[in-house]
Amino acid sequence: MSFMQPSPVKYACSCGILNPINKLFFCRHCPKLRCGFCVCHEIESHFCSNCLENIPSSEARHKKNCCANCFDCPCCQHTLSARATTVPVVRKTEEPKDGESATEATPSPKPSAMPTTKKMYYLSCLSCRWTTRDVGIPDQGVATGTWPDKECLYQVRFNTLMEYYQSLVLQEKQEKQEFLRRKTPKQHKFPSLTDRTGLTVSLIRRQIGWSDKSIPKTKPINIAAAEASADVEALPEDIFTQPINLRNITTVAQRHSQPAEQPEAVSKLYPQRRSLWIKRSLRCRQCEHNLIKPEYHPTSIKYRIQLFASYHVPEVVMVRCEQPLQPGQANAIFLKFTNPTMYDMTISVLDVAPQDAQISPDTFQQACRIKEEAITSSPLLKTTGITLARQNSIREVKRDVRELTNAKIVPLEGPFVLNQRDDSKEFDEDVQAPTEEPKFIVWRKANKVLIRLEFTPAAELQSGNTVTLGFYMQYTYVNTVSNTPDKKEPTTHALYSRIFIEAGDIANAVAN
Amino acid sequence: MPLYESVMQEKPPIVLDIGNAYTKLGFAAESHPRKIIPTEVVLTTTGKTKLLFDYATTEELYDQIVDFLQTIFFKHLLVSPKERKFVIVENIFGQTIIRETLARALFIHFDVSSVLFVPAHLISLSTLAVPTGLVVDIGYSETTIMPVFSGVQIMSAFKDQSYGSRAVEEEIKRQLLATGVKEQLLTPSVLEDIKVRTCFVNSFERAYKEDRQSPPDVEYGICDDDAVISIPGSLRESVYELLFEQNNERDSLPHLILRAILDCSMDVRRALVESIFVIGGGAMVPGLLARLKQELQHLLANDDYYATRFHGQLQFKFYQAIGKQNFTAWLGGSLCGATDLIQTRSLTKDSYLKNEHVPDWSNLCDNRHGG
Repeated sequence: MSFMQPSPVKYACSCGILNPINKLFFCRHCPKLRCGFCVCHEIESHFCSNCLENIPSSEARHKKNCCANCFDCPCCQHTLSARATTVPVVRKTEEPKDGESATEATPSPKPSAMPTTKKMYYLSCLSCRWTTRDVGIPDQGVATGTWPDKECLYQVRFNTLMEYYQSLVLQEKQEKQEFLRRKTPKQHKFPSLTDRTGLTVSLIRRQIGWSDKSIPKTKPINIAAAEASADVEALPEDIFTQPINLRNITTVAQRHSQPAEQPEAVSKLYPQRRSLWIKRSLRCRQCEHNLIKPEYHPTSIKYRIQLFASYHVPEVVMVRCEQPLQPGQANAIFLKFTNPTMYDMTISVLDVAPQDAQISPDTFQQACRIKEEAITSSPLLKTTGITLARQNSIREVKRDVRELTNAKIVPLEGPFVLNQRDDSKEFDEDVQAPTEEPKFIVWRKANKVLIRLEFTPAAELQSGNTVTLGFYMQYTYVNTVSNTPDKKEPTTHALYSRIFIEAGDIANAVAN
Repeated sequence: MPLYESVMQEKPPIVLDIGNAYTKLGFAAESHPRKIIPTEVVLTTTGKTKLLFDYATTEELYDQIVDFLQTIFFKHLLVSPKERKFVIVENIFGQTIIRETLARALFIHFDVSSVLFVPAHLISLSTLAVPTGLVVDIGYSETTIMPVFSGVQIMSAFKDQSYGSRAVEEEIKRQLLATGVKEQLLTPSVLEDIKVRTCFVNSFERAYKEDRQSPPDVEYGICDDDAVISIPGSLRESVYELLFEQNNERDSLPHLILRAILDCSMDVRRALVESIFVIGGGAMVPGLLARLKQELQHLLANDDYYATRFHGQLQFKFYQAIGKQNFTAWLGGSLCGATDLIQTRSLTKDSYLKNEHVPDWSNLCDNRHGG
């Protein structure tokens, strides 16, 4: 199978989008094909792709999705590495020698003459040779953890603005509530005219000697509004005469990697904390079961749940066409079917959607949903606000499969059986007894079958057009999971998928 | 921030400002966007990069928006969009189809809990804490001008023209091709880089001088092709002249600003003259404000049309943005998302799902009172 090239065989996902089988998932509970577009993506865990440390999500949020220890080069976005240097330390003579120095010097008769050294660290990019010394960041005594963060220049102003607007909105809200309270007539047994203004209450309160029960009104804090000025920054005069050095001016990518400052001079670049990566888990939108769940640890590339379609759906590989493709001329294509499951499959290739096949699980679900909806949308329940069934929050956006076929296939006479996958069979002697095979089967070996499918490209195709043939592949699928606990027997479903095959381009008719 | 506070707090809303060239993304109540990324999608079928708003059918746009948002959530922000609140900074005269498709992608595909659409011009002023200003947004594909008085946008005085950063890049390309540079060297990213690193807005005095000596040329190396091209000094100072081009249409940037002010009622004009706020990525070029101010003063003094309509001693004044101009609108959205407005003014999922429509000021159905 071509690994890097796009596959000519595409499966129609249940949402209507065409995908090669290696991009599809198979939900065993529905049971239907799913693709990356129609599943729900979720974040499983955060980790740093450099130090491979797992970071809990609350900490990741606190650290603004950045690794605490790893830095990116502001120049080329490569990872920075800490380099150590030794610098001499001036030591007071009366201090006794201790073991804190990094270099273990040989015992010397004159301790004061022996300069002690200390390890200092700086960050350096191994790709573009940028170092923290270039921009004047002092070396640090420890390799990680002490690198200073650049403070946002206008953080104070921003905080003032934020507080100002929060109090403003709060005040507006209170006034609105106050207004509503006054406007709505009080549902009281003895309506009183004065009560409308709230006077009675405060009058009585005052007579008793209580203090007024008014909610302290939030006053918006004063803020100094920005002032416009007529003095604008003029161009520096030397811009017209001095040549510029592009090496000292940052590029757009470098500026955008530091969105807060966006420095224009290279000397103002600052090491950037490396952003975290995530592990994703996928969930079916209809039954909310997990399709993909990776292992928690960042160093592991394995999955706890992996429902890739290529483990459950027979794989179709296009081998070759029998003759060069000509418009309107009968042709045949060889297709290899592979059964990835541990159960035998019965496969039929059809040119129209099978009637009774997928109806059963599908209509059942459909009926359930309609029932649910009927209950939830009844006006009685709506008014009481009770929802009986868990609302299926995300609707699936279904679209029609784009009709691409421009060739007519001759459906196979009958179904054929695709044997189960058995890894040990690979090493067995070929003991298969020759059985009576339908004549469209070219060969059969273990769980693989090569079939010959006849088709005719449409007559109106021009040379150079791509011939696409489509068919319905109906297959039996043995489901080992069941939703009801009492039923232990694996159930067999007859499922189908639509498959589109790009057979190739129409050959040049003149050449023959 | 103490740890308990960050744990107890509700998830902060996501603030998105999807521009034509760059998208600013981050969380509310933060002082700068987390990332500024190009508004592009990589097509899975062909592997080509394509602008987000370059589409043939609505379905294609929907797919691209879903793809793009997916990248934002899972590669840049690293949060699940489910049950999140959103602030979307939008152009108030933006296309309805983009707005509707974006809302559909957010509510139906990503299942977000609410979306608050805020108009970019108005919300930019909130970063200054002033209620009045003439907001000039120099973006990638267009320059828009919206006068705001006491927190109300004067829609009838809105002006826009199709010169922005893209026009400048095309001008660079035209001038470089004229000097004999091969076209395949001038990719969009190279043109952008040339614009950002070498070009500036000429000063007023020099721009109208005939025999000026052009600034020094720059040798520009294109690393992808191992080629060095020479960028003439005349190009560096002249590409931005298209913002100030004098023609009979009278639609250059200074004219546009003055006409926007004239379209407002007489009482607010002086206030607007004294509070011009230039934002957008195109506003970050050196020398722009100085030139703009001098052009405006010059027109006011010497152009008969404006001299008869503006009276008194007028001095154009400009606001200084906090932070960089290219994310000023985002910053406004961030401030807005930090307040209680996100609870009261947002479009919630329930109200969206009722008739799958985003209320819009230009739509009569939404504007009717008691409708």
